[in-house]
This record gives sequence, structure tokens and C-alpha cells, in this order.
Amino acid sequence: MSRLALMIDLERCTGCKSCEAACKQEHRLGPGEFRTRVVWLGREDEAGLDFLTLTCQHCERPACLRACPVNPKAISKDPATGVVRVHEDRCTGCGECVIACPYGAMGFDSHGHHAVKCDLCADRRAEGGIPACAAACPGYAISFGEREALLDRARVEGRRPRETDPFLLGPATVYLERLRPAPTSADGRAPARPPAVVNPPDAQAALSRAAPAFPFRSPREEATPDRTVPGGCTLCFNCCTVKFHFRGDRLVQVTGNEDDPVLKGKVCPKSQMTLQMYHSRERLTRPLKRIGERGEGRFAPVSWEQALEEIAERLVAVRERFGPEALALFVGTRTGIIAKQGYARLFAQLWGTPNIEGTDPFCSSGKAIAYRLVQGSVGSGNSYTEADLGGARLYLYIGDNQAETRPVFFGLINDWRLRHGARMIAVDPRLTVTASKADRWLPIRPGTDMALALAAAYHILDKGLNDARFCVDWVLGWERWRDFIFAKGYTPEWAEPITGIPAGEIRTLAEEIARAGGCVLFASRGVNQHTNSVQTNRALMFLAAITGNWGRRGGAFVNMTASPPLAANAPPGRRAKIARPRVRKSPTGWIEAMRTGRPYPIRAMISCNNPLAQWPGLAAAREAFRALDLVVHIELFANETSAFADYVLPAAAGIEAGDIGRSADDRRIVWIDRMTDPPGEARPDAWIWVELAKRLGFSDVLKEDYKDPARFWDEVMIDNEQFRGITQRRLHAVPYRWVRFPAASEDAPEIETLYLEGNTAPGQPAGKRFPTPSGKLEFWTDAQEADFAALGLSALPEFYGEREGLLDLPFVVREEGDERLSLLSPFEKVPTGAARARVVPPAEDAPAARLRAQGFDSELVTGRPPAPHFHSWTHYFWQAQEMWPDLYCQIHPERAAALGVKDGERVRIETAHGAIEARAWIHAGIRPTAVFVPIGWGERQPFHPWRSVNFLTDPSQRDPISDQTNLKSLLCRVRKA
Amino acid sequence: MNRIDLSDRVLLRLVAAAVLVLTVYFALLPALPQAFRLPGSAPLHIAGVIGSSLLLVSVAFVAAKRSGRGGPPPAWFVAHAVCAVAGFALVAAHSAGRLRHAPALLLLALVALAALGVWARVRLSRRLAATFATRRALLDPPAPQARGSLAALIAEKEALLRRLDPGAREATFSPTLGHWLRAPALAYRYARLARAEAGVIGTRQAAGLALGYWRAVHIALAWLFVAGLVVHIVTVTFFAGYVAGGGEVYWWHLAAW
Repeated sequence: MSRLALMIDLERCTGCKSCEAACKQEHRLGPGEFRTRVVWLGREDEAGLDFLTLTCQHCERPACLRACPVNPKAISKDPATGVVRVHEDRCTGCGECVIACPYGAMGFDSHGHHAVKCDLCADRRAEGGIPACAAACPGYAISFGEREALLDRARVEGRRPRETDPFLLGPATVYLERLRPAPTSADGRAPARPPAVVNPPDAQAALSRAAPAFPFRSPREEATPDRTVPGGCTLCFNCCTVKFHFRGDRLVQVTGNEDDPVLKGKVCPKSQMTLQMYHSRERLTRPLKRIGERGEGRFAPVSWEQALEEIAERLVAVRERFGPEALALFVGTRTGIIAKQGYARLFAQLWGTPNIEGTDPFCSSGKAIAYRLVQGSVGSGNSYTEADLGGARLYLYIGDNQAETRPVFFGLINDWRLRHGARMIAVDPRLTVTASKADRWLPIRPGTDMALALAAAYHILDKGLNDARFCVDWVLGWERWRDFIFAKGYTPEWAEPITGIPAGEIRTLAEEIARAGGCVLFASRGVNQHTNSVQTNRALMFLAAITGNWGRRGGAFVNMTASPPLAANAPPGRRAKIARPRVRKSPTGWIEAMRTGRPYPIRAMISCNNPLAQWPGLAAAREAFRALDLVVHIELFANETSAFADYVLPAAAGIEAGDIGRSADDRRIVWIDRMTDPPGEARPDAWIWVELAKRLGFSDVLKEDYKDPARFWDEVMIDNEQFRGITQRRLHAVPYRWVRFPAASEDAPEIETLYLEGNTAPGQPAGKRFPTPSGKLEFWTDAQEADFAALGLSALPEFYGEREGLLDLPFVVREEGDERLSLLSPFEKVPTGAARARVVPPAEDAPAARLRAQGFDSELVTGRPPAPHFHSWTHYFWQAQEMWPDLYCQIHPERAAALGVKDGERVRIETAHGAIEARAWIHAGIRPTAVFVPIGWGERQPFHPWRSVNFLTDPSQRDPISDQTNLKSLLCRVRKA
Repeated sequence: MNRIDLSDRVLLRLVAAAVLVLTVYFALLPALPQAFRLPGSAPLHIAGVIGSSLLLVSVAFVAAKRSGRGGPPPAWFVAHAVCAVAGFALVAAHSAGRLRHAPALLLLALVALAALGVWARVRLSRRLAATFATRRALLDPPAPQARGSLAALIAEKEALLRRLDPGAREATFSPTLGHWLRAPALAYRYARLARAEAGVIGTRQAAGLALGYWRAVHIALAWLFVAGLVVHIVTVTFFAGYVAGGGEVYWWHLAAW
């Protein structure tokens, strides 16, 4: 046998650290112990990000082996395979091997006092498997096999292996250079260095206070699975299919599902780290009742009976005094899609409150309205298959950091890009991981994507580069829009000072989109989280449509999907009469009602998420929560919201509850069975809603039997045309447990690409290609114009930016505050309060100018941190905290130098709305005038607590159409802390 | 994997217990019978002998580890640590608190050895673990000139190895105790070449003073202690008169020169 090796493709590696998670899980390594680790590298003199997966090189002349003083050696090299391994039973822990390895690839278990190292997963290989890192890698960056065969493959693909043998040790591990190799000191340049906030050694102190929970540091025999159940991850929007491995009743591993024809066993680190959630000692295990002041966090354990009886009693008291609308339900996606769109929705209907909402208005409500207006349904009709999205010639990411937010999908896209020679362009204020893989990065000013879209469209239409046949046949109102942007003069020259992107670049971009022969235009939170959310999304959709990139394979507009269109409904006769409309769509629009009782009082809140770290403008949100008569918090972990609750109810998650995965970009509904009991007295959200319903007289609808989510699914959740065929039987008939919607019957075939020419949209009359009233994509109609006019706006996307910016741009103001209820939104399905708005031209006394005069000289962008984190959940996973422990602030080297801030130092970030501290990450890949602070950290988290970035955000800056909050462009100032 | 290990907690408790016992012992010393205040008295003499013997378990550990005989090296390591702590306590008791005499240097060496060993095991091992993925070889390879010197050193090692151990491969070879006993000069020359190679690679220097050299200092101190112990035994056994300095030779001895 020739030498076995890993081949690591640096062009495909996205630094997601899934390999680290897989390795630690496979070998049950605790904090501080490594067999593989991903190093992030950046430079202060040039925008760029590189990643290096560092693992044993399995050298021909292993320095570690020769350094071992034990006889016979505690390290051996297999003469047949070349694999170098540690014999831990012979190792005395002297550390000589660690010192000797010039690659820094020899690990050490400081708890058990012995060397640890990669042995290419000898146990897995013995059973015919491949190393865990290679199996999991979402980027297809790690391959395993015979070294010569791997090198042959690289040669065939025209890839160049990196020279990695300066010390004549004969390393076996192959690294494929990036297509554009990073500079090194050999080029006379300072080499790239890891940022101080990535893998900081001092992070270990917080993690080593307690031993990690099972199965980490447990013997292999205690963690060897004896059965496997397919299911999915409930954490993020990649919606990975996974396999849950059990030994007896105990969960011992979470891995990718190689039976999945789309994801093929690739999985992100978060899914694997849910193992740490299921076994976490931080989990809430008993119902708690507040005994201290709100916010103090003092509780006494009570029985479920007592908690539920008292909650029901207090809810009734609130209803009697203030009416049913005085109860608000904040039901985020933590609670699970079935609980959110099933149990809680039914409860709200039976109780009679319109004030139920999730996180949509913070994330994606703008894009949902835009999709409904343009396409008639929410979400892309395309799929992550080689024939569909894989067939594109250009991938354009605008405000979408897919590599860190849906790493497995990005792995597919990046792999197709490399195999098919497609191009990739990223438009983002930051050089994100996604942008680091792109052929071109356009660092746009935050909040000006609409200007870019309008200018690109102008150029395309002006030069006749649009797909004329598609426009004529399938787009309604496109000429009107064309005339509008011509009349407005939205040229590339107009957009240049607004976006910060040269007009020539905009033209080039426009021509690339038009001529690509298949462009997938990805957009996400960077576009959504603005006060121009709906109109920017529409402008980008128009751009995709006029170039024919809609309703085809290999061409699409994909804005990360939110919830699938599932909605349980109580029988009409059982729904309580709702006398008053929803105060606002955005929960931050409820704050006035909670604080002041206007337009009507909200006095009680049942929260299934962490609003007090998550709602924009946390100071106001906390004040509002203090004012409530009753706060019930259903959660997995004690967090910032728990501290303000009257009752904290311990919840279950994922396989403890039974659920579907969150929505995916590609319409997959992934089913997750209930497989295990939650810890202690924790209960699934379903159980809690059914029990509460019992005490309020709703058990004829929220039946006892519906505690079983599978039954609830079949009997209640899928009672509509799109989901009727996605039954438990059909979901369980496939080993990967997913079915794409729509599927109107159990035998209806899945549709890979919706809205193809010649097809009828599902559920529509014959010939209607798109589910709009006209059957075409709709840019402008009289009905739309009337709806926009009701809000004081036009359906034709007129450019405006944000209220707070370094450039004076037009911005939107809502003419009424949240305390008024004089207008209902024409864009919401349920009666919902809204406010008229107007676009204000820039003026010298604009709010931004006043803030700039006070020294607010930078544009704050908030967003998702790297792949191992997702909101606050992962901050309770020790390994995610080992990877990314601290809240950070990305800041440009020039700005950092001016402030005297060094990489890793504490900085204070201040906006007009609040202040927080974070550690500086000096990053040349960010606009010099921008800073970036990620979401998810909170001051009550167990390992590395930091104040949430939402102390800096403003609850009042909202899109008048979708109620979406601006979270991406706020003026701030940064100082050394 | 059945591997014996001495956890940090047990090690620290062991050391704390030894320190506590010694503290109590020295606090009570003035009140104890005179036999416990004279290092050469029968009970303290026996304590010294047993303590030294326990300390020499560390030598056995080295022999076992490097010879491949005597059982699993981790078990020997545990024996080394436990016996060293116990031996240290007994030797300290044997001193009877007489710290102004020459043999107190041995006690000083023991304190340094123990402190260094415990610090390395408990604290430095975390720093050692933290070195994973911090080296620059893959990130920024050194200048190619190093390859020339390394090639020459490897060739020299290969030539030497043909004489030292003809069946061995340079790629995986380092001298064992057997080589040192059978052909000490060749083993020494080989070890020097290996050190030179490591010097060119530079990992030990890069690891920093503490990580790179604590073990060398620990070993050096241990050999110093062993040498001092031999000198002490020889002098008190054969040069008792000299040691007594004209006073009474009250301890067991063979000659009072």
C-alpha cells in the first residue's frame, strides 16, 4: 500500500472548523486538546483571509518519533501506510515530541498528560471509513486516500501542491495552493498572521474550570455507538441532515448523513456541536419562579403543576383587565418551526391575541414581502443540485456571507465554481469568508445596495443587455420601471459616490451579470436588515429578472429563506375574536405598548427566545420587560431574558422534542424524530403549550395527543396544498428524512426547479408560470402602487439610504410613532399597525450630520459571526467558545493605527443608542470607515460573557413597508477601552 | 486504553500533604526527642536512607523508560513522582532543619527539582498543548538554505548509523540506553548530530525558554542531586571525622577519616 494522506485544498477551505469539531467528537478530545486545528490568517497591509487546516504531516522522517525518549518508542510509523501514531499507553508526557514538530501538529492532552496526534482516524479506517475531518468537511477541502492518487488528481485539476518540506522531513499531507497564492516572507513581505481573537490560548482558562460533559474525555468503549437514527440539525438555515448515534439510550455522536443525495454527509461544526447542547450541564432542568427583582436572576425551583397553574391564573387576570391582545408571544426559531408555526400559533388564535411574532422582522421580513410582490411566493424555486445552482457561470453575493452562515451550501457552490470554472463576485462592506473566495470583492458602503442594483440595471437596460424576450414574455411592468430609473438618472456615475464603487466597476459587474449565461444572485441579511429592505430586495430581484436569471436552472435570485409556509389553524369557530390589530409586525414596535400602554397595553409576554439579547435597542427593551405584569420564558439555557422572567420553563430541543429543521434555501423539509428524553424536568415546547392550553380550556384543539409532534404534523401542520404530501410516511421512507415542498400528495414528485418555462406554478391554474395574480413576475402594477401609496411611498423603488451614515443620503422617516394605530399595513396578511412614511432628501441638519458633529465617525455593521456560532445557543457549547470566545470588533488598520489600538486590545464602541466593549480584530478587509461587531454574545453567558451588540442598535429605524430594523448601518465611534 | 496517570489534583494534593507534614514536623521539632534533631541519629539516618532510595526510583524510571524493560513507562512515571515526593519529605526530615551545612545544597536541589517538576506537569503542560498549530513551518517556510545544512547532517547521521546500528533507519532512529551502553562514543556523536539537526530546525528555541529547556534543567538538577548524594554518602560513611569537624561522630559510619 502506498502512503496514506490527507489532501487539503486551501481554495476550498472556508475556515469553518467543521474538521476540528469532527475530530474532537470522534476522539472525544476535551478543551485544549487538538489533533487538527484551523488557523485563520490575515494581513494588515492587504485585504485577504486565508485558512490553514493544520494536522499531522505523517512525515517520512518524523521529528516527533525521533524525539521520543521512550524505548520502544511511544510513537510509531506504520511501514505500509506511513501513518504516524502515538501509543498513549507508553507515553510519559515529557512533551519532547511536541517541541520537536516544526509543523506544530503534535497535540498534547494536558489533562491526561500525554501526547495526542492525528492517526488518520485509525479506528474509522479499520471499519472501512475515512477520517472524520474528511467526511465532515463542508467545503470538500479535505480529501483522503493514497498520496500518489491524490497528487495525480491535483495534477489533473491543474492544481499546485504547496512546498511544505523545508526541513527534509518528507511530509505526506498535501496542501493545494490557492489559485492566487498568499504572499510569504520569501516575497519580501511580512507573512500573514492569525488575528488575536481567533483561537486565543487564554480562552482555555474559562473552559477548563469544569470537565467537559460526556462523551468528551470518555473512553472509546463508552462512546461507541450501537445504533444510528437519521434526522437533522435545528440550529441554522443550512438545515443539515445528520445522523444521531446512540449507545443504548445515550447520544454519543452527531455526524453528517452520507445517504443525503444533496449534502452527502457534509456538515457544519454547529450540527456536530449540538452533542454539547444535548449533554450540557448548563441546561435548565426545572421550572423556576422569580424570587428577586426583575433582572436580578434570583429564582426558586417549583413544580410544573405550580408553574403552569400560576401562569394560567395570571394570564387570565391580564386578559380580564386588559383584554386578550395584552398578551404578546415572541416565538423565535429556537423553539422549533412546529412549535412556532403550530402550537404557539394555535394558542394565539385560541387565546385571541394578534401580537405573535418571531425573529422575522429582525432578519428577513423585507425580502419576504419583496418575494411576494415580485414572484407571488416567498423563496427561491431553485435547488442546490449540480444541474440547477451548480450550472451557473457567475455567483454574485450581495450582502450574503454564505460561507459563514450556510457553510455546507457554500461548500457546494465553491466546489462547483472550481470544477466548472465559474466566477464569483462578492459585494460586501467586509471581506468576509465568502468574499475571500471570490474573484472580485466590491467593498460597498453599508445600506447602498439598492443604488448598486439600480445603477447596474440602468447600464444593462441602457445598453440593451437585458433578456428582452424574458422581459416581454414574463415580466409585468418592467418598462415602467425602466423609464423610472432612466428618468431618475440612476446611472453608474450617480451610484459611484453613494456606494463607493467606481462607475467602471459597476458597469463591468452589470455586463458580467447580463452576459454570464447563468448568474445566481445571492442576497441575505446584508440587504434585508435595512430600512430600505423591501425596495432593495425588489431592485435586486428586478436585476436578476431582466437578465433572465429567474425560473431557470443555473440562474436565480436567492435570498436566504426564512420559515417555510407552514401554518396551523384552529377551526374558525374556535378562534377567539380579536378586537384590535397587531400593534406592529416588529416586536420592537411593541415596546411603547409595553412601556406606556399605547396604542393599547401589552402586559404579558411569553417568550421562547432570547429577546433581551436580541431585540434592537436593548436598553428600551429591558425597560419594557420590567414594566410587564407577567413574563414567561421558555428556554434551554438561562440567559439575559430569563433574568427578567417571572417563570422560566426548561425546554427541550431537536431530538428531545421532535421537529423539522429550520427552513433551507432549497425547500427541503427535514424531519427529526423525538429520540431521547430532555434533561431533568425539561419538556418540549409542544408539551408546555398543550399543558397551558389545558388550563385555559383549549384542549379540544391543542389536544393531549398533539404532544406527539409526528401526529401533530400529519393531522394539523400539513393541511395545505404545498405540504399535504409530506407525511410522516413519506419523510420516513427516505434514509435522509427530507422531502422538498411543494408536494400536494404523497406520490407527487419533488420539483427540483420551480417556475421553469412551460410549467405551471404548483397550485396555480394551467399556464400560470409564476404564482402572482398575472402569472408573470411583477415589477409594477396598479394594485401594488395603491398599496405603497397607502404608506406614502411608490411601488417604483426610489433610492434612499439610512438615517445614520457618513454620507448625507435620502432616508426614510415614519411619520407616526409606535404609540399610534391609525393605519393598517397593506402588506401584512393579518391586520397590523403601520405608519405612513416619506423619503427625506439629505439636509445639513439631518440626524447623521448632527451625530458626525459629535464624533460618530464610523459606520457600524452588525452581523453573524463565523460558522461555529449561531445567535446565543452556541455560546453554551464549550468548543464554539474555544474557537471564537470573545466578542470582537473588526476595524481597518488605518483606523486602528489612528486610535492607537493593537490587534486583540479592548475597544469601546459607542452609538447614539448605547455602548459596549469588544476586542479589536484589525482587518484590512473592511472599508476603512466601517467597523463590524457580530451578534450572539450576551452578558450572562457562561464562558465568555460580553454585552450584546444590540445595546448599539436602534429599535426605531425600521423599514416602513416590512417593519424590518436597520442593523447594518449606524454611526458609531470607537475608542481604546 | 489502560494508561496509568497521576492527575494534577492528586499530584498537588500529594505535594501539599508532604509540605504540611514537614511544616508540622519542623514546628514540633524543638519539642521532639533529641534523636529527631540530629540528622545522623538512627531514626533520621534511616529516614535519609529510605528517602534517598525513594528518590533513586527516578533513576530506575529513566532506565526503564529508555531500556524498554520493567513495564509501562507511564506507571514508572507515576512511581517516580510519588516516590520523589515521599523521598523528598524523608530527606527533608533527615536534615533536621540544619540548613547552614553543605548537605542542605542537596535539599535545595530537591526543592528545585520538585518545584520544576510539579510546575511543568501542572502548568507548562497547558502551554505545551497551546503550541498546537502555532508554528510557522507551513505558514511561512524558512529560507531554503537550511535544507542544505540539513541534507549534510542527515547524510552524516546515516553514515554514522551504519556503524552504530546497521539495521536501523535514520528516519526513525534515536539512540537507546542499549546504544549508549554498547557504543557510547558513537551514540554520543549521533546524539550531537541529532541536536545539531534540531538546532537548524529551531523548534526548541522557538518554544521559548520554559517549554524548550525545563526538562533539560530538571534532568541536570537530578544528576547534580545524584552526584551530591554520592558525595554525601561517601563523606559521612568514610570521612566521618572530617564531617564531624572535631565533634562527636554519632552516626553509623565505616571510617572516621
